[in-house]
Amino acid sequence: MSVAVEAPRRRRDVLEERSVLAPVLIAPAVIFIAVLVAGPLLLAIYLSLTDATAGSLHGHWVGLDNYREAWNSPIFRRALRNTILFTVISQIVVLVSAGLLAHALLKSFRGKWLLRFFILLPWATPIALGTIGFLWIFDSLFGVFNWTLVHDVLPGSHAFYPYKAVNWLLARPALPDWLEISPIDPNNPPQWLGDSTLAMAAIIAVHAWRIIPFATVIFLAGLASMPPEIDDAAKVDGATGFRKFLYVTLPLQLPIATVALLFGIVFTATDMTVVFILTHGGPFNSTQMLTTWAFDTGITSGNLGLGAAISLYLLPILAIVAILMLRFARRVEVS
Amino acid sequence: MKDTRPRVDISKASDDVTRRELLRRAGMGALVLAYGASGAKTAVAGVTRFAGRELSGTLKILQWSHFVPAYDKWFDGTYIKDWGQKNDVQVTVDHVNLAELPARGAAEVAAQSGHDLFQFLAPPASYEDSVLDLRDIVQEVTKKLGPMTRVAQRSSYNPRTKKYFGWPDNYVPDPVHWRSDYWQETGRGPNSWEDLRQAAAKLKSIGHPIGIGMSQELDSNMAMIALMQCHGAYIQNEEARVVINSKQTRNALKTMRDIFKRGMTDEVFAWQAASNNQAYVAGRLSLALNAVSIARTLEGPPWVVTPARPDIGDVTHINPIPKGPVQRLGLEHVMGVYVIWKFAQNKAAAKQFLVDMQLNYTPHFQNSGFYNFPGWSNGVKGGFKAMHRLTAQDKHRPLGKYTILTTIAQKYTANVGYPGYSNAAIDEVWNKFLIPQMFAQVAQGKMTPADAASAADREIKQIFASWRTKKKI
Amino acid sequence: MLAALREKGPAYLVVGPFAILLAFPFYWMLMTALKSDGDLYNVENVPYKFNQGSPTFANVEFLFRHTKYLQWLENTAIVGVLVVIITLILSLPAGYALARLSGRWGQSVGIGIFLTYLVPPTLLFLPMSRVIAELGLQDKLMSLVLVYPSFTVPFSTWLLMGFFRTIPIELEDAAMVDGASRVRTLVSVVFPVSLPGILTVVIFTFSLVVNEFVYAITFITTSSERTVSAGVPTELIRGDVFYWGALMAATLIPAIPLALLYNLFLDRFIAGFTGGAFR
Repeated sequence: MSVAVEAPRRRRDVLEERSVLAPVLIAPAVIFIAVLVAGPLLLAIYLSLTDATAGSLHGHWVGLDNYREAWNSPIFRRALRNTILFTVISQIVVLVSAGLLAHALLKSFRGKWLLRFFILLPWATPIALGTIGFLWIFDSLFGVFNWTLVHDVLPGSHAFYPYKAVNWLLARPALPDWLEISPIDPNNPPQWLGDSTLAMAAIIAVHAWRIIPFATVIFLAGLASMPPEIDDAAKVDGATGFRKFLYVTLPLQLPIATVALLFGIVFTATDMTVVFILTHGGPFNSTQMLTTWAFDTGITSGNLGLGAAISLYLLPILAIVAILMLRFARRVEVS
Repeated sequence: MKDTRPRVDISKASDDVTRRELLRRAGMGALVLAYGASGAKTAVAGVTRFAGRELSGTLKILQWSHFVPAYDKWFDGTYIKDWGQKNDVQVTVDHVNLAELPARGAAEVAAQSGHDLFQFLAPPASYEDSVLDLRDIVQEVTKKLGPMTRVAQRSSYNPRTKKYFGWPDNYVPDPVHWRSDYWQETGRGPNSWEDLRQAAAKLKSIGHPIGIGMSQELDSNMAMIALMQCHGAYIQNEEARVVINSKQTRNALKTMRDIFKRGMTDEVFAWQAASNNQAYVAGRLSLALNAVSIARTLEGPPWVVTPARPDIGDVTHINPIPKGPVQRLGLEHVMGVYVIWKFAQNKAAAKQFLVDMQLNYTPHFQNSGFYNFPGWSNGVKGGFKAMHRLTAQDKHRPLGKYTILTTIAQKYTANVGYPGYSNAAIDEVWNKFLIPQMFAQVAQGKMTPADAASAADREIKQIFASWRTKKKI
Repeated sequence: MLAALREKGPAYLVVGPFAILLAFPFYWMLMTALKSDGDLYNVENVPYKFNQGSPTFANVEFLFRHTKYLQWLENTAIVGVLVVIITLILSLPAGYALARLSGRWGQSVGIGIFLTYLVPPTLLFLPMSRVIAELGLQDKLMSLVLVYPSFTVPFSTWLLMGFFRTIPIELEDAAMVDGASRVRTLVSVVFPVSLPGILTVVIFTFSLVVNEFVYAITFITTSSERTVSAGVPTELIRGDVFYWGALMAATLIPAIPLALLYNLFLDRFIAGFTGGAFR
């Protein structure tokens, strides 16, 4: 009986504590971020509404002119499309790969430590340098992929040229036409950074390469933090395999997975390092992203107002996506 | 580093009180020093003592990591130390990668602090509002050396605002490198674009194609604009009106498409700035357009760390840009333009540094391996004739191959935006790679020459309109 | 034996190919870094072997002798450690409060924190460089220490929020029933249990610091104050000449120890759980 009386009072104490404690705990982070990001962000928004240049941050008010001007450029629209394409595809690749990897890495097997080390390597590499590494791998003359494709890779007399195998595959009529892949000419091998489709693929691949380890670690951490009781309970209920994944693991992982995905999206859509170093938007500006296009316009060319407008185009879209996803995660979690 | 603050305050104070006075004195100092530099050696001590009273504090310079590491070593280790000692100024130099320059420049303007001297590698016309008008020292040096070269003048002056927004200390001629052994088989030399067109197929068939980039990088940009000029096609006219949608542009596009189809491979769309150097140095290409970095790379140390390749170097010749149906006219490869920020803390020292460097440019010319040509040709005493003599002394084979550089620098080098000035709009066209884009789309058969030219015209006109409303052109 | 294979086969089938794909570039960097220039720039050579005899350490030597590589590594480590500390100090309490203590307004604050992360850094560096200059931090390592938490804190806060939510509330209630205050519960019960989350944040923050590029090149130009990401391209890409061998060595050298470290972290936090934090 006495416990029942005491419980509400204790809860009230906690409640009182909460309204004080929560703001106290949150305040430092909020203040820090507000000072460092909110201020500059407001300035960036202001710049996008002026005709400021890199040489003079005080421009005249031009309203939405910059947004209109940006939209009028075909390259901008291509960049917008590329950004969305690039983000969506690379995130799908990352989610699937990281999901598979995290589940596989939960098991223990011989050599796991070494394999996991290999998988973590990309995440331990400064991306600017890692991308330079890919620049070398995709090099127009010394690129190792192309060398491997067009040379006899079997030592001895059995001549096996990988490109012949690829061409045989490409000749299958089942492939859709829009793929636009022509057979490989050993004297003019595919230019991974010089063909618009291949260059997009290369950018997506490098980005996936870079994010997969990070997503795997987050998933792994999420899975590891699942209390074993839940596992036991699931076993008792007879949920195994895919059913268990769908009804037990997934809902529990959703908050973390959502955050990982969201950050993946933001990271992909707002980071320009990979594209900038790998193709610089080439060939013929066909792989420009909003970030690189904004940089080339606002910083390199000094048309700051316009550059700010270009870079902010995505902000409302991202914000809506983010809020929807966060709400969704919340609802799933509550139910 | 520790004691910059008080110095800063001093210079700020003097700046506020008598900026004009300071400029006047700096000019005088420069003048006197100029006499010292060009005159008898005994005068130096007296002059520097005078200059030493005028200048003080630190001078912070930012410039690119030069293609020739040895140049940076000499500049950082010897040149600025000597100059600093003579002038009682502590000089520091920071180097950044050439691709990082615009971002850092914009950051310094936003921060309203940074270096006193900032070297861009393309005319930074869009920074005009944040930099000093250098008319006074331009006139000072012009009085001593005669007028600066046309390419330098058009890369540092804005006729609309009548302002010298930068100091064009050097420009880099952009020759053609070609292999006489491969070209022999075609029975021609790369004298005209027609020669290239005719020889292309043969060169490709022997496995050594022509290498002219159509990619998102500097070399491609410059090669394509040069090709346009040779056909009489320009981005803008002298009054900064867009004139790209012309018959001449379409002709240039057709020429390039032909050369590509006959004698090049897809690699040229994938290139970054280093690729044509690498492909040439690997012995693959029969021709490439680049600054002398190719020839110097083949010579190995001290220019670069890679070993020398005399087998290729000895059959590598340097030519001016091929002649087109209208003329022979290339572009500068890079244009070194220093600016002095309005917020620079040691403007007097910065100005004098520029003046002194320009008045005796010979060591810069030599230490850079004839990469840097002076904005005022008389900066090397004796002008182009003297430079010709210096280049003739180079011992690398084929002997005398560098002498043509002087001719190229004198006759066949235009500024970006020729026949107009290098303005902010031209800079944006350049930075967005719109010209290589136009050529690549035609070469790949994605667009007809007419469509590509008019698409480029639309995009470029919008850029010009944007800068015109900003009252910069 | 066969049963074991059936049990573990799929894991190998998944992890093996991924390991090869993800690690191949590093194998290639190693090959490139150990080759002499003469070997590297010859199209006739088979790239998979050393055509001029044995591997050379000339590129690595160049890196350490002729550049400030060691200094850059040190700088990167300093920035990384400091930013990790700052990030934890700010985001641990915030993440917990958002997960447990706050109601509706807390949710809005949380989303607000997240939204700041959406701002593209492409242009943010301009106004930030003003802040840096006002504080007198231009060209100093501390500028990065100050700025990096602006993107590590939002992420870490959200990540930790997610982790805290997966901790059964009964655990805390039990501690509080035992008479512990909420802050005490936080420190002695919640934080230890959330070690996996915390370690993830540490790994994440550190790697983000190592990765960052735009701020690193724009805030600092003094060579001795640069981080690896910014210093290496400046010294090893000269105009249109890339020093590929040295570039690859420079990439590989920090990657290997860091990946080892991350791997150890992973072991630690998985062990932390199976070791019985809940039992």
